[in-house]
Amino acid sequence: MGTHIEAACARVGNGGRKATARRLADDAARACLTLAGCRPADVDMLINVGVYREDSMGEPALAALIQEDIGANRGQPPDGGGRGRSGTFSFDLLNGACGVITAIQVESGLLRAGAIRLGTVVSSDVPPDLGGPGAPFLRPAGGAILLRWDDSPAGFTDFCTLTFPEYEDLFTSGLEWRERRGIRGPRQGTGHNRMVVMVKPGYLARLVDCAEEATRRFLRRLGLGVEDIDLLVPAPSVPDFVDPLRARLGVPGDRVAYTPEDLEGSHTTGPIAALQAAIKSGRLGEARNTLLLAAGAGITVALALYRQEPERRVTDLSR
Amino acid sequence: MSEVQKAQPEHWLTLQSAGSGSPWGCRIESVGVKLPAQRLTTKDLMSKTSHRTRIQLERLTGIHERHVVGPGENSFTLATGAARDCLSHSRHQASDIEMLISTSISRSKGRSSQSFEPPLSLYLKQAIGATQATSFDLSNACAGMLTGVFILQNLISHGEISCGMVVSGEYISHLSWNAARQIRSLFSKQLASLTLGDAGAAVLLERAPRGSGIDVIGFTTLAEHSRLCLAFPSSVGPGAQMYTKARTLQRVAIEDTAPLVAETIREAGIDLADIDYMIPHQTSARAIRAGTDAFVQRLGARPKHVVINIEEYGNTSSTTLFVALYKCLQEQKIRKHDRVMLLALASGIEIGIAIFTIDNLADSYGHAH
Repeated sequence: MGTHIEAACARVGNGGRKATARRLADDAARACLTLAGCRPADVDMLINVGVYREDSMGEPALAALIQEDIGANRGQPPDGGGRGRSGTFSFDLLNGACGVITAIQVESGLLRAGAIRLGTVVSSDVPPDLGGPGAPFLRPAGGAILLRWDDSPAGFTDFCTLTFPEYEDLFTSGLEWRERRGIRGPRQGTGHNRMVVMVKPGYLARLVDCAEEATRRFLRRLGLGVEDIDLLVPAPSVPDFVDPLRARLGVPGDRVAYTPEDLEGSHTTGPIAALQAAIKSGRLGEARNTLLLAAGAGITVALALYRQEPERRVTDLSR
Repeated sequence: MSEVQKAQPEHWLTLQSAGSGSPWGCRIESVGVKLPAQRLTTKDLMSKTSHRTRIQLERLTGIHERHVVGPGENSFTLATGAARDCLSHSRHQASDIEMLISTSISRSKGRSSQSFEPPLSLYLKQAIGATQATSFDLSNACAGMLTGVFILQNLISHGEISCGMVVSGEYISHLSWNAARQIRSLFSKQLASLTLGDAGAAVLLERAPRGSGIDVIGFTTLAEHSRLCLAFPSSVGPGAQMYTKARTLQRVAIEDTAPLVAETIREAGIDLADIDYMIPHQTSARAIRAGTDAFVQRLGARPKHVVINIEEYGNTSSTTLFVALYKCLQEQKIRKHDRVMLLALASGIEIGIAIFTIDNLADSYGHAH
């Protein structure tokens, strides 16, 4: 028994002003629901894992705005709940590039318990206004994945998150206050909170090291070897990450789900983009053991094992 | 794909209860708090507004003072202090924590007024020595800590983990200072920012025998009201600014919460009058009393006690429920066998309700400890 993927959808933003983080997530969530043939009202839980937004809104959770936009149980019926309708619970979960896998783990537990019946995880990022050289690999993108519980002996069955805090300063980001200099216009503030992203040399190399180490430890815990993995689905959160990792693990290229180049560097959307590529190619449906992997700041590595019976097919997104 | 088959739900809330057949219970084992030493009275704050406002904030809200950070203090130090205090009241060690969830809205650390990556939880688990814990941050406005409890309740009661911690450090007094620069009248959307105070809180949850521990916990997001309270990085000073349609928010929260409280107590198989202590989110004394009166009118019963501690702490955002619970435990107001209801209300609108009975938790606090 496990959590099954109903549908997955990832989209690249065009970088325009209207392609905000919220709209990217809205569009992906709507497309995902359409693919799965579900109504917004069917969604019991919505977790947003996006990190970078144009306005860096602190509250409410962006998930609440997305829930409102897609029309998922916006309000209680006048006579209260029950009577055939239930609400939606939304919040934001932040774990950088690993957020999608962590959120799947959270929803998986609630699906298993029967507390929810259909969960969605949405993601989106827009490159922060850095005002200078920053993180060149961050590409605007949004994604959504729909999950439900199934009694068949398959689905997401095991999760693992490992952190390597010795590398915590290789990738850092946050808002810092900068006073405005020079003459100030009548509507201008005294300064602004500027996003500062620091990526130190060696980050990518350490990311590959940590991802390899975490994968080997996870597989050891499960009693599996690399050869037991039919399909490796690595999130392309950072470009030039997948091939070095594949080589280090010794996984043949034909057992790796490569994400289209335009979705490379899609940060929190990376795992959904990778899953979408695996579904579109038909290979996720054929693989018995699929390993989903994401790595990001911390250094944090998240892994999930998706087991599947050969005859079961995930929604074909190419239709 | 076929349409998702949904059984006829009996409740609007996303609910978990001890009687749902899970193999284990989940109980609150310890609570910790970290308050900055420095205090700021409402009188002092209002004397520093840029414009003469004539707002009688203390009379309106019941807030006399609040704790505010001093040099070197921020969200991270408050959260770390609360987590350590929580462990000092616990039989567990940091190494027992299998999952650590940080739920601060403000995530200030070092030079950053808001830290994004790595998540604050990563630094926290290193600071307290919970190095083996799975960690992540969660953001759900003032309902963040109870949302973390909701997640841990699920993982603990189904045997995925046996011990977890939810922690939050809120350095939010900068919103008050930014509002004080701009606020002109009682009708300002930044008025609620003047009620905020700084605090850290932590709660440790552990596995309990089946059917014991937290009786019911439920949440919902009424997203049609998602824009009633919004906070953004500030352009007038370090930190953030918050804009609230306070009157609408209060009206909507009162109207919508009553049927959800009814759902929760029905699920727990009790009556509102069986609640010994109701601890609501602390916004203003007047709003809490109005909300309680509305429940009484709608549900025909009144909890025995309603906790209001806003006079000395103000609104400490995601930490209010556990700051209040901690104080009641320390003062031995809440005792063993008392039934407690935690009621989270937050922008979103998020409504979260938990009901549990105090057990050995009471033994670790107060003079007897």
